[in-house]
Amino acid sequence: MGGYIVRRLWQMLPTMLGVILLVFFLFNWVGGDPAYVLAGKISNQEQIDNIRRQLGVDQPYVVQLWIFIKQVVTADFGASWSTNERVSHILMTRLGPSLTVVVPLVIIATIISIGLALAVAYVRGSLTDRAVMIVCTIGLSISILVYIIVFQYVFAYKLGWFPVQGWGDSFFENLFVYASLPILIGLVVSIAPELRLYRTFVLDEINQDYVRTARAKGVSENRLMWIHVLRNASIPIITNLMAGIPSLLLGSFLIERFFSIPGIGREVILAVERSDFPVIKAITVYVAFATIATNLLADLTYKAVDPRVQLK
Amino acid sequence: MTSRAARRVAALIALCAVGLVSPLSAQTGADPSKVLRHVFPAAETGFDPAASQDLYSGTIIQMLFETLLTYDYLARPAKLVPLTAEALPEVSDNGKTYTVRVKKGIYFIDDAAFKGRKRELTAADYAYALKRLIDPKLRSPWAWLVEGKIIGLDALAEAAKKTGRFDYDAPVEGLELPDRYTLRIRLKDTDYNLPYILAHEPTSAVAREVIETYRDDAGRAMSNPVGTGSYMLKQWVRSSKIVLDANPGFRGFVWDFHSDDPADQPLIAQMKGKRMPQVGRIEVSIIEEDQARLLAFQNGELDLMDLGGPLAPNVLDGGKLKPEFVKKGIQLSRIVDPATSYVYWNMQDPIVGGFSKDKIALRRAMAMAYNVQDEINVVRNGQAIALEYPIPPGVVGHDPNYRSPVTYDPALANKLLDYFGYRKGADGWRNLPDGKPFTIRYASRPDSLGRQLDELWKKAFDSIGVRMDVQKDKFPELLKLERQCKLMMRTASWIADYPDADNFMQLLYGKNIGQNNNGCAKIPEYDRLYEQSIRMPPSPERDRIYHDMARIIEVYAPWRLDTATYRNMLVQPRIQGYRKHPILHAEWAYVDIAKPPGSVSATPGNRSAPD
Repeated sequence: MGGYIVRRLWQMLPTMLGVILLVFFLFNWVGGDPAYVLAGKISNQEQIDNIRRQLGVDQPYVVQLWIFIKQVVTADFGASWSTNERVSHILMTRLGPSLTVVVPLVIIATIISIGLALAVAYVRGSLTDRAVMIVCTIGLSISILVYIIVFQYVFAYKLGWFPVQGWGDSFFENLFVYASLPILIGLVVSIAPELRLYRTFVLDEINQDYVRTARAKGVSENRLMWIHVLRNASIPIITNLMAGIPSLLLGSFLIERFFSIPGIGREVILAVERSDFPVIKAITVYVAFATIATNLLADLTYKAVDPRVQLK
Repeated sequence: MTSRAARRVAALIALCAVGLVSPLSAQTGADPSKVLRHVFPAAETGFDPAASQDLYSGTIIQMLFETLLTYDYLARPAKLVPLTAEALPEVSDNGKTYTVRVKKGIYFIDDAAFKGRKRELTAADYAYALKRLIDPKLRSPWAWLVEGKIIGLDALAEAAKKTGRFDYDAPVEGLELPDRYTLRIRLKDTDYNLPYILAHEPTSAVAREVIETYRDDAGRAMSNPVGTGSYMLKQWVRSSKIVLDANPGFRGFVWDFHSDDPADQPLIAQMKGKRMPQVGRIEVSIIEEDQARLLAFQNGELDLMDLGGPLAPNVLDGGKLKPEFVKKGIQLSRIVDPATSYVYWNMQDPIVGGFSKDKIALRRAMAMAYNVQDEINVVRNGQAIALEYPIPPGVVGHDPNYRSPVTYDPALANKLLDYFGYRKGADGWRNLPDGKPFTIRYASRPDSLGRQLDELWKKAFDSIGVRMDVQKDKFPELLKLERQCKLMMRTASWIADYPDADNFMQLLYGKNIGQNNNGCAKIPEYDRLYEQSIRMPPSPERDRIYHDMARIIEVYAPWRLDTATYRNMLVQPRIQGYRKHPILHAEWAYVDIAKPPGSVSATPGNRSAPD
């Protein structure tokens, strides 16, 4: 196991290098020169050159790339070009609000999706199964933006069940007051595709010989579904779940913007609007690292779930 | 206990409670229970007056720090009044020397940087603030406010570029401190706009010891604002929430503003004589999305809100609130922003630039083909006016009676192009007088506003048979190309830094090419008049020069004047005394909050005597 982890960590290096190169060249190609914005409404070329010098964007690309690599290795991305706030501080302070929404969302969505997937797969082909699938298809077809706009209007403004927006100082206030509606929207959006996918995984297992054998041996239907079928269906479920977590952190930017949650997703949009390269590259690199790390974690979880899996 | 005794005890408790929540300071009427909730549609960056350049940071800075001068709350057009200065500056030496005296007994809020001592505001703090603007290391976006103006200051900046260190202790000939409270500013040239600069928040007083305690590598102190303003920073969750508390040491002022506008009279009657500020706490939320902002306001989560163009059709019917909002008692404070949007053509471009008759005709034809009213209706949701004059309303020098001869007239535009030889080819598009085909490149940002303007301009060019391509680029790239005179045409905008015509007329001054003369126009006649105008105080003579300059713009057509937008502030019924000011970013120190009927006033006797 230890050797496997070391090998996988070692394999991260070329992937991370690829990410670094991609981010670096993409930003320099499409990012625009931030000096012209930072220089203010009235500025001369000398002032612009001074800013470029201080930001280091006047250096040859090779030098800038080397600085970027050093920043990744030392995990020190310097300060934001717009606000001078340390990038590490930005990440530390924005991660908490994002996790307050994402963690409960992932847990609740996974439990509900798996439970419903087992239930509808068990009654596959029935009216219930078809009705649930139709609802899921409709749910999938609607953009998250529509859910946000409608839910915010109906549940927050019209019915007054939640605040329209905001973020407080206490964790529990945030979780139970401000994050409730964003989590609810997240659930509506994520359960439909997950349920369809997980149902397919479960159906693949239900038709296996071992299920028939277990039934023949008199295993109860509950035990059959929750223990035997779920354990075998869990490997693709874990793959899907782990792959989705990093992107969920970033992908929640719409929810964060509409509900004024000071999270990572909102920060990314802000950084792009401001051409704030230090923040963009730090978040991109960390998300890439998180993606690789969660993939590794998924592989290790396979082994825990199914002892037959060999890690090579 | 008898009911009478119980009532006495209750009254005693109530009195104690009143005592507990009594004004933060005897000098102000600030009541901690009066909380004003405002919203920004975009995030702030930080609170260093010399380093922050966005509107939202500037709004907070105006509350935390103080300039020497400010604007009268109700006077229109905006009128300068002293803030920390004892009086308006004494002007001498033909507008080259300004002497201003700081009021005694103004103190910074307590901070560890002062090591337990009360720190009084002095003239040296303003001199220090002005020097910071030009410190190369700090790379202030406001360097232009002082660059090339104050005697000796540029030399200090030049020396700093060589040594890498700005010597704040070095004497500057143009920044004299005859005594602890007097600042004398000596300029290289006559400049009657300096008082406006002294009312602009980048020149707010900062304490040197605070900056030196909290500065970062670039010399900026973005997160530790320590000022003398009416409010102080209580909490800051970046890009999310800003909480200000009334400064308990603030000297306060009595609300005593005057206006001839009948619409202001109820407001004056409501506020006159109150000890200000009344609001004890200000909570600012940052909400980027339009729907969320409007719903939060309608839900009573916000007291004040800048409506913005996209939301206007939901709330306004023409220039008035819809009946459902009127019914709820919502107030609307509406002004035309002291800003202008304009379309410029690059005067150095081989196709649209130059002064030959055919080039001038082409620019005039393009100007006449564009329907500004369409833009107002479609793009601005009716929340703008068409500009006739380069100096917008609310700015000293604006002439409401001036009428521009440049109107929407595509038929005349076609005739003009025919006359000057821009004939249509076999493909139906016009060619240059020498017969070569040509295409106009209209540059815009890749956002919804940019796309809408593209469509309107495409329609305009189609109506005169001229090919048009859209050049899309991110804003920083557009700025870069613009300063290098590499864009052919673009819609640009300018908002007043100070409410004087000069701030707008300098946009076409030849020496500002590469800075903010977007169209790279160098018109000798215009430049000569501009140089004449900057040596004159506001006067009918100066206005006549501006008239001549406006005619030059119409003759050579380097610009097509476009629109000035309305600013619509929505105000909850409980807010008293609110009126949007054209230059001040926030009016929070001038308003009060009505308490619900039956509640105990926490500010007894707040109708105190004047200072």
